[in-house]
Amino acid sequence: MTPKALGVLLIALAVAAGSRPATAQGPIKVGASLSLTGTYAKLGKNQHEGYQLCQKDLNAKGGLLGRKIEFVVYDDQSMPATAVRLYEKLITEDKVDGVMGPYSSPVTEAVANVTEKYKKVMVSPLAATTSIFKKTPRRQYIFMVISPAEVYLEGLIDMAAKRGLKTVAVVNEDTLFSKAAASGASELAKKKGLQVVYQEAYPKGNTDFSALLTKVKAQSPDVIAAATYFDDAVALTRQMRELGVNPKMYGVTVGGDLPEFYDTLKQNAEYIYGATQWEPTLPYPGNQEFFETYKKEFGHEPSYHSAAGYAGCVIYAEAVKRAGSLDADKVREQLLKLETKTLFGDYKVDADGFQVAHKMVTFQWQGEKKVTVWPDELAKGKPKFPTPPWNTR
Amino acid sequence: MLGQVVVSGILSGGLYAMVALGLALIFGVMRVINIAHGPLLMLGAYATFFLYSGLGMNPFLTVPLSMAALFVVGMLLQRSLVFRVVDAPELSSLLLTFGISIALVNLAQLAFTSDLRAVEYITGAWLVGGLALSKPRVIAFAFAAGVTALAFVFLQRTRLGRAIRATSQSREVAMVCGVDVGRIHMITFGLASALAAAGGSLLAVIVAIQPEMGQVWTFKSFLVIVLGGAGNYPGALLGGMLLGLVEQLASLFLTTQLSEVVAYVLLVLVLLVRPTGLLGGRQT
Repeated sequence: MTPKALGVLLIALAVAAGSRPATAQGPIKVGASLSLTGTYAKLGKNQHEGYQLCQKDLNAKGGLLGRKIEFVVYDDQSMPATAVRLYEKLITEDKVDGVMGPYSSPVTEAVANVTEKYKKVMVSPLAATTSIFKKTPRRQYIFMVISPAEVYLEGLIDMAAKRGLKTVAVVNEDTLFSKAAASGASELAKKKGLQVVYQEAYPKGNTDFSALLTKVKAQSPDVIAAATYFDDAVALTRQMRELGVNPKMYGVTVGGDLPEFYDTLKQNAEYIYGATQWEPTLPYPGNQEFFETYKKEFGHEPSYHSAAGYAGCVIYAEAVKRAGSLDADKVREQLLKLETKTLFGDYKVDADGFQVAHKMVTFQWQGEKKVTVWPDELAKGKPKFPTPPWNTR
Repeated sequence: MLGQVVVSGILSGGLYAMVALGLALIFGVMRVINIAHGPLLMLGAYATFFLYSGLGMNPFLTVPLSMAALFVVGMLLQRSLVFRVVDAPELSSLLLTFGISIALVNLAQLAFTSDLRAVEYITGAWLVGGLALSKPRVIAFAFAAGVTALAFVFLQRTRLGRAIRATSQSREVAMVCGVDVGRIHMITFGLASALAAAGGSLLAVIVAIQPEMGQVWTFKSFLVIVLGGAGNYPGALLGGMLLGLVEQLASLFLTTQLSEVVAYVLLVLVLLVRPTGLLGGRQT
């Protein structure tokens, strides 16, 4: 190498080294663990895709604070203990600039201890359990996006009260989410002047509801509000038909909104009410566009997990933008003040970071389709009321 | 109200009895508690689902096919793995079958995904004298009763059945009498898996199918054979019916949540009063 060539090389190196700080400080790294394998794999993947699409859209619009945004995602195998380790690693080893929430309440509950310890703001788009947010001592840095379990059956109860129905039976699987949904429903029912004539929990994995339904039938309630997952919602419906249990309204919680619910029950799913956090058809800003882009990008339709993931990321980015900084306390302040409407609906939290604005939507299965019937401002159709007895269908 | 609940109890008791008979056979002949019994049932349910959704077969007619398939799977499992722990301490067989159980569930998750599947074939109920008889459950009960009866005829009347019972009574004597004990073990495991598969196929028309549906059946079957007397085959029938009735009656008079508690309290009571089970089991 000639001295001249060496000189050129040195200058080139000096320029390269010198120019690095000038072109911003590299991407903003946002860390998260998601359930990419294990029990929640399917739902966790949808949330991941929501994050990915949000990253892409943000970067296409010039990034955040003039920097690109980049997600660092690990697989927590749907296990809280693994997720705790991963958030430790993200914060202490990978030194990410911010974090986003994992999938599910149990995992979020576990990792919230880590993010609080390191004072990291965590928008948790898929944790619906009230106790995660309403905790003493108060958790400072965690923010909720979706509606809590307690309001899943709000629409059903509200519609029943408006139609002058008097009695309601509440049944639920004896697990964290379903219990909260059931107690929310019976409290609301009492508040609206309905009488809770029957309430019972059944163990997870229960497949035979004959005894329970026999007791319900003896009370002949106007409304049956069932806080369910998928299996039990299906079994309950089938046995209601077999035993001729005929309420004027019958609603379920989770599971009732899956296409599999109709595929499995066919015409028996007609008239059943269900609740959902989000539907692609809701008139929220950017919702239609999100639905189309998502389908093109990933080759399948988004679920509410995808939409909530996307919305959570957008909300975090908005708060960072308003704070003009990644500093946790400044971002926190903005998240507490923020009132916005995303493709997922309204966002506004109370002083605990607990969601107070987002609305659950109640639909009814009508002619193989989910028709939004509540709340009125979002309703696409009228509920078919009352539900006809099984033997006259 | 009571009649309705008793009928439901008997209907589910029939399924419990058939599935538990498989577990009782394996325990009787090999002294192995097969934790993988429930996951084998799950495979039977998937067999029915794929035959129904892929080939459009009547789900009830898939029962023999799913039993045959799981008979082979059971024999292979015994030949490759379970035979190693037949004479080992009981902890070894528990660990091995526990391992097989985890492997089967996770393989099913990989192969079939954890999406919920359902066989929506027949719904509704027959109304008989004020009682609602669920169509799928009544047919499933009839099939279970038939399969169980066949299994008993096989055990009582055929040479092979006698050889199985002989091995279960005393392996040494059976061996001296010229019974190929290794072969009997293999066939018994196959037969037990086939009984589990029949349970899975019949459940497929009643509940949703997913890879983790089986485990609870391991525990129910275990409860049934301890109630009836471990290794006592008619005891499995009695235990099955008893469990079905107790669960339903407890749900009616107490709460559904307590029905499992009552079933297990009953187990403890039986163990305290008659440690060998209601019909008497065999000493280990």
